[in-house]
Amino acid sequence: MKLVGTEQPIHDARSKATGRLRYTCDIVQPRQAHLAMVFSSIPHGYVVSVDATKALELSGVYGVFHYYNTPEYRFNHYRTQFQAAQDLPPEECVFQRYVRFVGDRVAAVAAKDPETARRAAALVKVEYQQLPYATDFDEALTGKHCLDGQAPIEDECNITVGQPRPDEAEGIEVTVHNELSRLHHAAMEPHACVADYDPDTDELTIQSPNQAVFGIRTVVADMLHMPYNRVRVIKAPMGGSFGGKQEWMLEPVCAVVAKELKRPVKLVYDRAASMRSTYCRCAMRGDVRGVFRKDGTLLRLDLDILLDAGAYIGNSRDYIRAPFGKMFRCYRVPYGTLHGRVVSTNTTPSGAFRSWGVAEYYVMVEHMLNKAAAALNMDPVELRLKNVLLPGESDIKMKLPVEETRTRECLLQGRDHFHWEEKRKADTEFNASNHRYKRGTAVACGGHTNTYYTRFNDFAGVEARMCDDGTVQANVSIHDHGCGSVQAFKMILADALELPIDLIRMGEADTAHTPYDYGCFSSRSTFVVGRAVQCCGENLRREIIKSAALMLDVPEEELYIKDASVRRKGYEDVALPYKDISQWTILNRRQELFADARHHNVTNPTVTGAHFAHVEVDTWTGLTKVLDYLAVHDVGQAINPAMCIAQTQGAIQMGCGAALREQFTFAPDGRSVSSLAKYHLMNAPDLPDIQVELIQDGRSQEGPFGAKSIGEVGMVPVAAAVAGAVNQALDADLQVIPMDPDRIVEYLTKREAAKCD
Amino acid sequence: MRLNFFVNDAPVSLEVDPQRRLLDILREDLELTGTKEGCSEGECGACTVIMDGLAVHACLTLAAQLQGRHVTTIEGLEKNGELDILQRCFVEEIAIQCGFCTTGMIMSAKALLLHNPNPTEEEIRTALSGNLCRCSGYVQIVNAVSRAARELGGEV
Repeated sequence: MKLVGTEQPIHDARSKATGRLRYTCDIVQPRQAHLAMVFSSIPHGYVVSVDATKALELSGVYGVFHYYNTPEYRFNHYRTQFQAAQDLPPEECVFQRYVRFVGDRVAAVAAKDPETARRAAALVKVEYQQLPYATDFDEALTGKHCLDGQAPIEDECNITVGQPRPDEAEGIEVTVHNELSRLHHAAMEPHACVADYDPDTDELTIQSPNQAVFGIRTVVADMLHMPYNRVRVIKAPMGGSFGGKQEWMLEPVCAVVAKELKRPVKLVYDRAASMRSTYCRCAMRGDVRGVFRKDGTLLRLDLDILLDAGAYIGNSRDYIRAPFGKMFRCYRVPYGTLHGRVVSTNTTPSGAFRSWGVAEYYVMVEHMLNKAAAALNMDPVELRLKNVLLPGESDIKMKLPVEETRTRECLLQGRDHFHWEEKRKADTEFNASNHRYKRGTAVACGGHTNTYYTRFNDFAGVEARMCDDGTVQANVSIHDHGCGSVQAFKMILADALELPIDLIRMGEADTAHTPYDYGCFSSRSTFVVGRAVQCCGENLRREIIKSAALMLDVPEEELYIKDASVRRKGYEDVALPYKDISQWTILNRRQELFADARHHNVTNPTVTGAHFAHVEVDTWTGLTKVLDYLAVHDVGQAINPAMCIAQTQGAIQMGCGAALREQFTFAPDGRSVSSLAKYHLMNAPDLPDIQVELIQDGRSQEGPFGAKSIGEVGMVPVAAAVAGAVNQALDADLQVIPMDPDRIVEYLTKREAAKCD
Repeated sequence: MRLNFFVNDAPVSLEVDPQRRLLDILREDLELTGTKEGCSEGECGACTVIMDGLAVHACLTLAAQLQGRHVTTIEGLEKNGELDILQRCFVEEIAIQCGFCTTGMIMSAKALLLHNPNPTEEEIRTALSGNLCRCSGYVQIVNAVSRAARELGGEV
């Protein structure tokens, strides 16, 4: 290995630094129409009429599209696979008659430039018939917004894993309650899409920053009754996603309007629309119960979760179930139960968010573990060490071995490097001598997945061909979010071929050219697709040797590869450059040097980390400051350690925001926060010099060079650790996340008042 | 109005609405799309450019404010095919992920170093407080600016 394990900038770093990289918002197409949306101004009701007369009078307006002048195009924005694999009903229209939240799509105006489109959209008159609406759990549970035949609980599940322990009845019970706010993904690039339709070939082309080109293809093609091979979807450079660009909101609109107008269209949401009219992380309420032996052994874990799906059910049925599985990937939970309920409200739909609910469940479970540590009079790290899964054990939900898991080592290394005991002692002294400021140190762990397996039989395909000058181009369906998948895959292929990385070209996903792929979900890119890249590289390497053997008329066993040339053992003067072998193959074997690989994934080791947070709270203002942060992750072989660390630091930034600040809220009239002025992200002065350490000796059997995932697991312990540190600082039991200044001050005020009583 | 100003040292003369945003003038009229729109209200800093030596939000700067001014955008940093030191340090320090904040971040850092060639880490973090990055924890970004300052001759 030469490149794998070294620190490399992302593949397009230079074009991002110069500003030359073209994101979707920068694309200009000849004859392009710019779209502006008309969104519902009411939270629940019917669009009775749409009057576009004034809008159409404006010069440069090409058309106004709404429910009453287009066919009833319906789709499900969560679908990423063909209907037989993922049986989801079309849940919404491209343009609604029945609107379910402020921000639901009512109409699209197409015009010659963005300004004309915006002005025309403001002239579209929409008449509504309003219905009662619900914006939070309490209102939703009354059913006041339900239509005839609709129940307040949209979905309910009871899942049990494992067997009860015989001594459970003598165990010590610990319970917690938690409430979590909705979150906005806040990718810096707001949502955007361009589409073009060629009526002569009946071909539709869509470009957007997205996590699954084949998912968009199945949704759009089915909706428009088009053959799949006539719908081409291209993954555009992505200015961040975090799960926010894996469900389809703009692509169906652009597809319909491009086809209707028979001209290219472009739709760019502003921040307000990206916040209000796409989707958010759901709000949750949860009650967690743990039962322990006196020595700290966890005997049982019960979760009771209420989830707000928002206006459309989308992924919520899966979103409440999937995180439960991750409860068995970090700790030894012999018996676990989930009771889940999903309600709908007239608010922005809930959808995928980095970690897919797992960070939320771990906030609750880690909160419970901190209370348990106090109840059992154990150190919080010791309690976790007592219960983490070790090599040789199994994930009892997936029924798979945990493989070479290193959660224990993450905890031990983190405890040492974070100076856990010294910090906790110093906090106690600091808090005793400070009236206003209080400090706390806390730990949290988390586990996640590397692949869709066992939920689906995951797989990936890659093709690579050597050009006649010895350079290589590979076709693989990559969906890089900006965290370096393309560069990681180029490093993998370069090492497999012993070829300099700049001689490898690798584009991103394009349904017209790259192999079928599920997309970037379940942290599967490196583990599954990256492994296919490695296999493909090895296959191409064999082809090179095979051709060289024929060329030299010697057995293949006598040949080896070094420095992008084929050598013969014992003959130091023999050095066939790839270029010569490639050209010889074309002229003599009448083929190009080509290889493909079909990788069928059959493992899913646990992937975990332990995080340590040190927080200071100003008890007068409720303001919080993260003083120090360390994350230690079990990643197997890090392909590009610098990007693993940078990505994890980003997860920590996001999780600190989730724990302390970020909340996507709704006013009583159903209008959401729709501005970054009112949705507070952590900025540079807010954060400490975040430390991330990687433990790399717990190699996976199947990931490329032993790699495991990093994309989502980094997010899992963060809010849990930070919230735990706030509670530790205040010797409190704050239950609502984020622990913003208002909540902290309110809690402390009530506590003081109670003491006085 | 007839607007005469300078963009990346070149004179520009345009007939524009006085209320047109500098961001739209750059992106649509002059096709300088390196300046990005992330929030449209001066909160995220993705549209940061330098006007007469100061970092400004192109989304909050109107045509009427531009008469005779000198505006530098990300496209103005590279000279003769060679990256500006800040651009190179952002690449080499792994300070770039999705890249959507990068150009604004570099312009804010550029404005900082114009006035303070020897900033402390705290000064760097403060100068970048109006530039949001969602991919990172700002560590490599701060390192990149710090290193650029060092390479330019200051001691950080």
